[in-house]
Amino acid sequence: MTSTMLIGLDGATFTVLDPLLRGTAEEGVVMPFLASLMEQGYSAKLRSTAHPLTPPAWTSVVTGRTPGHHGIFDFVRFEDLGNELFFTLYDARDIRAETLWQIAGRQGKSVVSLNFPMMAPPMEVNGSLVPGFVSWKHLRRNMWPSTLFDRIKAFEDFDAKELSWDFERESAIGDVMADEELFTWVDKHLPRDKQWFNIGLRLLQEDKPDLFALMMDGTDKIQHQAWHVLDPALWTGGATEAARAVRKLVLQYFRNVDGYLRALHEAAPDAHFIIVSDHGFTGSEKVVRVNLHLEKLGHLTWRESDGSEAARRRDMSNFANLDWSATRAFCPTPSSNGIVIRKRTEACPAGVPPEEYEAFRDRLIADLLDMRDDETGERVIAEVLKREDAFPGECMERAPDLTLVLSDHGFVSVRNREPAVVTRPVPLGTHHPDGIFVMTGPGVAHARGADMSIVDTTAIAAHSLGLPIPEDFEGAIPDGLFDAVWLGEHPVRHAAAGKATGPAQAAPPARDAEEEQREEMLAQLRLLGYIED
Amino acid sequence: MLKRVEIAERLRSTVEEFIEDWGLDAEISRDTKLVEDLEFDSIDVIQLVVAIEGAFQSRSLGFQDLLMREGRYVDDLSLGEIEAFLEQRLTRA
Repeated sequence: MTSTMLIGLDGATFTVLDPLLRGTAEEGVVMPFLASLMEQGYSAKLRSTAHPLTPPAWTSVVTGRTPGHHGIFDFVRFEDLGNELFFTLYDARDIRAETLWQIAGRQGKSVVSLNFPMMAPPMEVNGSLVPGFVSWKHLRRNMWPSTLFDRIKAFEDFDAKELSWDFERESAIGDVMADEELFTWVDKHLPRDKQWFNIGLRLLQEDKPDLFALMMDGTDKIQHQAWHVLDPALWTGGATEAARAVRKLVLQYFRNVDGYLRALHEAAPDAHFIIVSDHGFTGSEKVVRVNLHLEKLGHLTWRESDGSEAARRRDMSNFANLDWSATRAFCPTPSSNGIVIRKRTEACPAGVPPEEYEAFRDRLIADLLDMRDDETGERVIAEVLKREDAFPGECMERAPDLTLVLSDHGFVSVRNREPAVVTRPVPLGTHHPDGIFVMTGPGVAHARGADMSIVDTTAIAAHSLGLPIPEDFEGAIPDGLFDAVWLGEHPVRHAAAGKATGPAQAAPPARDAEEEQREEMLAQLRLLGYIED
Repeated sequence: MLKRVEIAERLRSTVEEFIEDWGLDAEISRDTKLVEDLEFDSIDVIQLVVAIEGAFQSRSLGFQDLLMREGRYVDDLSLGEIEAFLEQRLTRA
C-alpha cells in the first residue's frame, strides 16, 4: 500500500501560488485542492541548493545530499584539456550518492519514480522508473524495467512525443516572444504534464508502490516565459487581448495541475502527500554578459571566428567560446552562474599560478561585485560564493570556483555582445532560492512552519516510508511537522549511510588518469540551447 | 578481449535497438550514416555514446577522438567508422 506520495512541482513558488490559492487573483481561486491541502496540513518555504538550478536541486531531493556531496552542479560538465574544453552532459552515472529510490528498494519498499532529471541512464529500482528530460527517441531504453516502455505504450492516450522533452521547444526559453507566439508555446506544454499524470495515476493504481514520486515541470517552463502574466506585481489585467489569452491559458495549466493533485491524492488518500519544488521563481530584468566583463578585466580572450557557419553556431551557443590559450577565468554556461579559475599547469600555461590563486580569487570577487549597469550605475552582482562555502563536500572540485548570485537572481549570459548589461523589455522568469513545501497525511501538523532546506524533504520521505534516516542525509525532520502522538508511535530513527555511489548500471572499471580525462571529452553539444534555463 | 566480429555485432544490435521507435525505414550497415541516414541530432549522438558505453561497459573509450577532428566536431559518422574506432580502442593492448 502506498504510504508516501512525493510530488514535485518544478519551480513552484508561493509568490505566484498565493493569489491562485486565496482567490485574490482576478480569476478567483484557481487551485482549490492545493488550497485545501495547505489549510489541512503543513507548509513552509523550502530553501533550494546554493545555486537554485534544476539538476543539482532535484538531485538533492532524490539523494538527501547537497551538490558538494552528490556531485551534480549543472546540466553540463566539462573537462579542461589546456588547449580545448570539452563539454558534455551530466547524467545519472555522475551522481555520487545513493538515491532514495535505491535506499527504499534495499529495504524492501517498492517505488515508482517519474520524470525526475538526472535519472538516465536508468538505475535498477524495486519498481518502475521513467527519467525526465529525455527525448522521445530515447525513452524506451532509459526506463526501468526494460519492459516498462511497452507497458506504458499500451496505456490509453499515451503519446511519447507529448510526454518527453522537446529540446528544440525548450531551447526557446530565454527568448523574447510576442504573446501570440507565447500562447502557442505554452499550449504545447499542457499535454505534457497530462501525459505524466496519466502514467502516474495508472502505475499508482495498478502497482500501489510504497513510494510514489512524480515530478511535473510545466510550472518551471511556463513561469520562465510567461512571468509577465503571472507575477502579481506585473499583471494589471493585460494591455492586449493576446496577453489576456496567454494569462487565461497559463491559469488553465495551473487548474489542470490542481486537478492532477486531487486525483493522485484520491488514489492514495491515507498516504503522506508531500509537495516540493526544487526552487522558486522571480522576475529577471537584466541581461548580464559576465564573460564580457571578464574580458575587460583581462582574464579571457574570445575565440576568433573564421566566418564559417559552424563558427557562427558556436558563437550563438550557450557554451563559452574562448581562446583557451589566453583565458584564465571564465563562465562556462549560463545555467552555471559559475566562474572557473584555471590553474597553471604544463597543459594550461594561461592559468593562474597556484601560489597566486587565493589573491587572484579575492581580487576577482571584488571586481565581479563591482560590475555595474552603465545606464543606472547599479551593481548587478549581489553575492559571489566561494565553492568551499557554497558546495562543501567530496565532489567540491567539480564545482565552479565562484558562483554568482545576480541582483535580480537571473542567469548570466556567456555571449560576446555589447553592452555587458542590458535591461530586458519584459522581465523573464528566473529561479529564486525559495520554493515550496506542503504536506498532509497521518500525524502531520496543521501549521505554517519555519523555512526548510531542500534536503529535509528526503529525510521526511524516508521517515514517512517507515525507514531509518541514513546518517549521511544532511536534512532533518522539522520541529513541528508531525504531532506528538505520531512521533511517539513513529519515532525518528537513524541508520548507517548506504553505498557511496548511486549510479545504477555497471560501474566503470578502474581507469588511469588519461582515461579519466578522455571520458569527459565526447561532446557534440553545439545545438543544445536548453541550458539557458 | 572482444573479437572484431563481436564488436561489430554488438554495435549493430545497439544501434538497431537505439532507433527502434524512430519510425525509420533505414537499413543498418557499415555505410549507414548517423545524420544523413538515421536523422541524428547532436543530442542523439550523446545518447548513442552513452548507449555504446553501456553496451561495452566502459566510460573510457575516448569518443572525443572520433567526434572531433582538428578541433572541430565532425558533421557525420558512418557505423563503419564507429566500428573501426571501437575495434581500435577495445582490442589495443
